[in-house]
Amino acid sequence: MIKHGVSPQRLRALMCVSALAAAVVTAFATPGTAQAQQATGEPIKIGAILAITGPGAGLGGPTRNGILLAEKAVNASGGVRGRPIRVIIEDDASNPDNARTKANALVHNEKVVGLLGPSQIAQALSTGAITDPLKLPQIVPAGLSVPVERERKCIYHVLPSQELNARALMEYAATALKAKRVGVLHDSGYGNAVMGALKAISSSYPGVEFVTIEKFEIGATDVTTQAAKVRAANPDAVMVIATSGVPFRAVKQVRLEAPVIAAIGSSSYSYVKAMGEGADNVVIPEFLVGEDPLPHQKAFVDMYRQEYKETPKNFEAAGWDMVQFMVAALRAVGPEAKPAEVCEWLRRPHSGVLADYDFRESDLTGMKLPSYVYSKLVKGEYTRLPFRVAK
Amino acid sequence: MNRRVLFAIAILVWAVLPMVLPRHFTDLLVFAAIYSVAGLGVGLLLGHCGIVTLAQSAFYAIGAYASAIVTVNLKLPMIVGVAAGLVTSGVIALALGWPVLRLRGYFLAVATLALAMIASALFFEWDWLTGGTIGLGGIPKLGAFGVVLDTPQSFYYAAWITAALSMILVHNLVSGRTGLAMRSMRDAIDAARVLAIDIHSLRVQMFVLCAMLGSLSGSLFAHYTGYVSVASFSIDKAILFLLIPVIGGAGSIAGIIVGALFITFVPEVLSKIGDFHGIVFGLALVIVVIAAPHGIVGTVERWWHNRRSGVSPTAEARR
Amino acid sequence: MTLSLVAQAVLSGVTNGVIYALIGMGLAVIFKGSRAINAAQGEFSLIGAVASVFAMKAAGFSYPAAFAVGALAGAATGVLIDLLLVRPMIRRRAQEDAFLLLTIGIAFAISAAVLFFAGRDYFTLPSIGSDGVAILFDATIRYHAIWVIVITALIVIALRAFYRKTNIGLSMMAASIDADGASTTGINVDLMRTATYGMGGLLGALAGLLVAPLVPISFYMGLVFTLKGFCAAMIGGLTNPMGAIVGGLMLGLLESLAIVFIASAYKDVVALTVLIVIMILVPHGILGRAGRAGG
Repeated sequence: MIKHGVSPQRLRALMCVSALAAAVVTAFATPGTAQAQQATGEPIKIGAILAITGPGAGLGGPTRNGILLAEKAVNASGGVRGRPIRVIIEDDASNPDNARTKANALVHNEKVVGLLGPSQIAQALSTGAITDPLKLPQIVPAGLSVPVERERKCIYHVLPSQELNARALMEYAATALKAKRVGVLHDSGYGNAVMGALKAISSSYPGVEFVTIEKFEIGATDVTTQAAKVRAANPDAVMVIATSGVPFRAVKQVRLEAPVIAAIGSSSYSYVKAMGEGADNVVIPEFLVGEDPLPHQKAFVDMYRQEYKETPKNFEAAGWDMVQFMVAALRAVGPEAKPAEVCEWLRRPHSGVLADYDFRESDLTGMKLPSYVYSKLVKGEYTRLPFRVAK
Repeated sequence: MNRRVLFAIAILVWAVLPMVLPRHFTDLLVFAAIYSVAGLGVGLLLGHCGIVTLAQSAFYAIGAYASAIVTVNLKLPMIVGVAAGLVTSGVIALALGWPVLRLRGYFLAVATLALAMIASALFFEWDWLTGGTIGLGGIPKLGAFGVVLDTPQSFYYAAWITAALSMILVHNLVSGRTGLAMRSMRDAIDAARVLAIDIHSLRVQMFVLCAMLGSLSGSLFAHYTGYVSVASFSIDKAILFLLIPVIGGAGSIAGIIVGALFITFVPEVLSKIGDFHGIVFGLALVIVVIAAPHGIVGTVERWWHNRRSGVSPTAEARR
Repeated sequence: MTLSLVAQAVLSGVTNGVIYALIGMGLAVIFKGSRAINAAQGEFSLIGAVASVFAMKAAGFSYPAAFAVGALAGAATGVLIDLLLVRPMIRRRAQEDAFLLLTIGIAFAISAAVLFFAGRDYFTLPSIGSDGVAILFDATIRYHAIWVIVITALIVIALRAFYRKTNIGLSMMAASIDADGASTTGINVDLMRTATYGMGGLLGALAGLLVAPLVPISFYMGLVFTLKGFCAAMIGGLTNPMGAIVGGLMLGLLESLAIVFIASAYKDVVALTVLIVIMILVPHGILGRAGRAGG
């Protein structure tokens, strides 16, 4: 049961909570039903490729935590038809070439029944070239980005496409803020992708105009000049699209007073810490606000807090959901089923902690705008706004 | 044992490997072949001209993007894509190399680094051409006469044969007059000038050749993975290509092969040991640089030479 | 194009420039003392910042004490690198290129080590003085940034005096220019080289300590700092640490003015192109001395 990269302290903690969970579950088993057993037997191998090191580590680390928690929970409640699952987690170091190599190893060497991850867009595309020909089911915690992915019918996504993220941003700007002039500050990687989607959907929001779009490179350590340019254009609202805290600091420093809407990629505790004073008056369309979870998310948040002594956010929940869906499929069709069968079974609606999905949809995600939860950073703390997009 | 027999056995082992090794090892060997072509160019400049270049990732990218755009967007045959990459890289290397190669030593290294950084910034910015972070996909697999190379086992042969042909080309170059001229330029520059060797022109020619090798490597990469994105062409790649001749040994073909195998297999093997594999890789590099200052092959060659000729190692080191 | 925008560009450019200059100075000091390019210079900044953060958080040190801890950590790292790694290479008569590659390996290792031991979080330090901003022509500059500029100027003056006036400084210079001649006059060349690396490490750590309140630092940022420091040192002339100031300021201003006058997307392209042009036109750097400056 020992997986790569699990430290001894973590393992001890895991075993303690494992015993506790097993005890709790047996305590609540109603009389007459079979007592939940710790799964035994030959483990069923599920592969996972995540960005544990490299610049994407802010995504991969949390996702790994969610996956490990789910694996434990699944095994404590009987696994798949009595057999435990074993998630083999590999690190792609935020690099698509490594991700590909790991995918080859997991799929052809370890013969995993399904693949979770990778954490980032380029890696998802490069590993897809390996799983798609085999119709091996793959669930990705990253949004769909290019048309070619719609052809890969066995690769499902548990995070929204760039287009949906763009819509979520625009909805808030147009509906809640009633902004007419929007300024954008974005980075050249993730930011470019979302900006492209924003431009594509802007015709659906005719009252909103992008008065200025400023860019900065991914590793930038200072963007005050770009932020000053945005300020000079006098926008009603500012969209910041980045995977770092730097632009938020800059916005604060140049006294850009307009409200800030950030994309989900900026939403993690480490980024918030990096934002410093800029972590104030920032609205983020996301899915899980651990400080104030929606009713169906509460159980997961409590379990995560007990295990890791931290509050989970979107990527932890995504990790959890991915495992749960894969396991549900395996329980339904059996662990000996062909990959294509598992893939086919997954093609249906699912209700996860993060959101509601429908893998029958053409975007292989099926997430909808009403699933978004809008959080607001107030003096470095997440709060949940009542604003939701109407169904 | 006779050298020819050894050589024949080596070829036989090479041919049989993909059939016996697990698939992902073959996959790694394919990457080793692809990287060795790029590393060959860098090694040529480093070992024979004394030039440190960190621009190889840019030319690798140009080759990959050229192949991708030509085959996917323009729907032309693959050979056109490869040629487009070679020509583009060659022209850019000539145009930029002419002024930049007037610099020497570290300045030149930093200038090539700056070129790679500019290229990387442009690849991000010009995402209408390169696809940016999202990249370009759907690149067709290599194939001809009805045979499509879509598995690591089949691509293995194409990759290594291409690498071998490149190495033969470079070997002939280096053994001939050009090689002599390069080495004289590296070791005794004033004497070379006296002999009317046009130093600058030679350096530019070699830079162009190096760039074209990088481009060829990139085209191979594109047709193997079927997908390219700017994340594969960062400064880390430039450093990795430089490591090939440094670790393996810049002076010989064997060194390039060893270096390419090192940078493909070692990180992969190390990643199994846990989250601190990056630290171990860095330390491994450090140890190789200290213990084998002429690269693994270079150091082994010297040690072998010393043993056979009975020269003491310290005397050798003082040479 | 308002005065306010240009003013902001100038203020931000100078702030960034001074940071690049600090790292460039460390690079130049090491090059001056050992003729080696240190690709791990940015990692010293990382170590300085991280050590200081841990001193404050885990051990409860006060900010000045933690600052000292960070600076010492950087210096100690530099000294260790020289003693454990550089010295054996010198013994084996390694070529100049080999040192660059050695430091690349060290940079990889340190970056991975910081990720492993300190995590993937960002590290910040408290500002010197208050957290607020000063306003000039409707443009802003953090008070801490003003302190950084002042402190850097002091470091520059101190460094100049060190090399010119003190025995150790003169010895270090002598040891690097002509090792055999220096040892003839009784200078311990090895010790001077160790001192050089220690100083390079100290300067790098100071850069990290001064930057951390402005820019949250994470494990992968060492390379970014190193690259900028390289450019700064090159523009100014690699043998002259004072040149790094000129180089850093020029780079910082070039970048921010490019953002304002051209487009933010092409900032790096512009700055790096100018760098290459300067290197070609002014081969020894703006302040570099004639003679073997980098060849």
